[in-house]
Amino acid sequence: MIIPMVKVRVLGPRERIDDALGALQDFGLVHLGDASSLAWLGSPDVGPREQRRQRYVRRAVDDLTEALKFLGDVPRPEPPVPHDQIDLRKLVRSARRVAGQARSLDARRQELEDERRELERYRDFLVAIRPALERLAGSPRLTSYAVVIPAGSRTAVDALTTSLRAEAGPDFATATRELAGGDLAVLLVLPRAFAERLESRLAESRVPEIPMPAGYAGKPIGEVVPAMLQRIESVPVELASLERQRRLLGEAHRRDFARQRAALHDWLRLADARQRCGVTARAFALEGWLPFARTGDLQTLLRDLAGDAMVVEELAREAWPAEDAPVVLLNPRLFRPFEAIVRILPLPVYGTMDPTPFVAVFFPMFFGMILGDIGYGMFLAGIGLWLHHRSRPGSVARTISEIAGPCAAFSIIFGALYGEFLGDLGSRWFGLQALAFDREESVMAALAVAAGIGTVHVVLGLAVGAVTAWRHERRHAIGRGVSGVMVLLVIVVLLAALDVLPGALFTPAVVALLVSFPVLVAAEGFLAPLELLATLGNVLSYTRIMALGTASVMLAVVANRMVGMIGSTVVGFIFALLFHLVNFAIGLFSPSIHVMRLHFVEFFGKFYSPGGRRYEPFGHWHPNQGA
Amino acid sequence: MEVTWIALSAALVLAVSAIATAWAQSRIGAAGAAALAEKPELSGTMIILVAIPETMVILGFVVAVLIILRGGGG
Repeated sequence: MIIPMVKVRVLGPRERIDDALGALQDFGLVHLGDASSLAWLGSPDVGPREQRRQRYVRRAVDDLTEALKFLGDVPRPEPPVPHDQIDLRKLVRSARRVAGQARSLDARRQELEDERRELERYRDFLVAIRPALERLAGSPRLTSYAVVIPAGSRTAVDALTTSLRAEAGPDFATATRELAGGDLAVLLVLPRAFAERLESRLAESRVPEIPMPAGYAGKPIGEVVPAMLQRIESVPVELASLERQRRLLGEAHRRDFARQRAALHDWLRLADARQRCGVTARAFALEGWLPFARTGDLQTLLRDLAGDAMVVEELAREAWPAEDAPVVLLNPRLFRPFEAIVRILPLPVYGTMDPTPFVAVFFPMFFGMILGDIGYGMFLAGIGLWLHHRSRPGSVARTISEIAGPCAAFSIIFGALYGEFLGDLGSRWFGLQALAFDREESVMAALAVAAGIGTVHVVLGLAVGAVTAWRHERRHAIGRGVSGVMVLLVIVVLLAALDVLPGALFTPAVVALLVSFPVLVAAEGFLAPLELLATLGNVLSYTRIMALGTASVMLAVVANRMVGMIGSTVVGFIFALLFHLVNFAIGLFSPSIHVMRLHFVEFFGKFYSPGGRRYEPFGHWHPNQGA
Repeated sequence: MEVTWIALSAALVLAVSAIATAWAQSRIGAAGAAALAEKPELSGTMIILVAIPETMVILGFVVAVLIILRGGGG
């Protein structure tokens, strides 16, 4: 439901305007309107000094946000520092200096992490060749080279080493090691006499060479290896030191910055609220909405603050348009997760119907009708439970898990009605029988049920539309009601013509239709018959429940057949399992989209009035609220 | 021969409606991608808009099933 709101006007002496706003900020429930535009009031003057101050505070908030981005934000800051205790100039200087320090620490850390990643690639190779290099260091006759090449050039290197071995004889040796990422590191040991020839051979054999990390290229391998190994050891120490500096910087400033930023945000909100007040030379007025049930609390608050000097006046419902009022949805705990689906569309206008209870009933039901499989339903329930266990209250994941629960339950219920457990596996393994009808065989029955449920849903939408409109547009409400009746009559006529219902109903239903027609035109205008045809088209749209369901069960049956179709039972089983997983993924995504569409287009189209305003009460700033 | 015609008719119904849906979705999808680049908050609405033309292929599927079942091909 949309909770009842009341619009209030607070009147008081002008010099107490900040007291009133401060109290309302602490109260945190009044969604402020704009009283400055009222005919008999003016808007409070904001002098150049005040404007400068606001600009400066905004810049300070930006600087603090930037600094906290580097230091790590505080999710629940302590109470804000009183605004008048903040030295803005000093604060801005401090925030900029700390942000600069944190930024340079981050940049250095990034450099070191890149260096460590690069060096780690060579670690195994370096460790493997170090003993050989140490032995070679004292040899006057032998020398060594290290090259890094792409993995695809191994053949060219093999050909080169074969040819060098033939020339240099037993003194030539190589060691190859694959680096992380696939490149190859090759150590070549050969007599010094062949050293000059090696470079020309490398060039001739067109072996593409990957340069060594910056700072090590071009140096003798005997120097490079110990230097790189030493660096591999020292980089983590430097990183740990940087991390320590960063942590100390955060501990020194984060908390203070968060408290001061909250105070500045609050001050800006107060300044913004002041602009929404209307003033005369001696008095101020402010307007806003709050939940009807909390009106008494507001009156008590202001009476305690200023006695009779401030007055809270409730404005009559006729004095304010519904479009201006903020909307708060409030539903029972079980229905609340489904508000997330309704919120995909703009909020409903105040005074109209909140469709969440209908969505909470029909969304999982339609989902279950489409998926309709005990096995898939149990799997979905398992995922829902896992997600519920892993998520925090109020998070998107928790909401999804709470929607998944009823969807899984309905999938299992309809799975039992259709006799499906992983397609036809239930009937083949456990002799599972359909309690209602078998979707694989009885396509017409599934079609009839889908059309029937569509009729119920669309007529319900028309009925809700009629009830909602009755208060303000009675003619429109009558039109909605007549449309609903005519949809039912058309269905009766069709079923009587097809001998599903007794033929005796045909004539009375046609007569009733003919009588309803002029009433509909009178209530809704000459385009109403077209609207009625569109409504009948809406009913047909629900046949997607049958179509998607049939496709789902057929895919599951095909998955089961795979075990027998492919020669090896094990391979067939794996393929079947994969196919079931794909079908399950499709079975989650496709019904969700289509059921949403059935609600938003076919059902909501009959009564939903989007355009409600978000309830944003004036209160203290919180990091989760952004700017 | 009659079964062949029934099968061909059902296939034609499904094929034409699928092509129509694909064409409509390609246009809506392209426009939707452009809209989402500027207003990511429209993602929910866009998913619904893209799903709207699927009614055509679903009704095509239903008609194909009816052709097969009523025509005695099933």
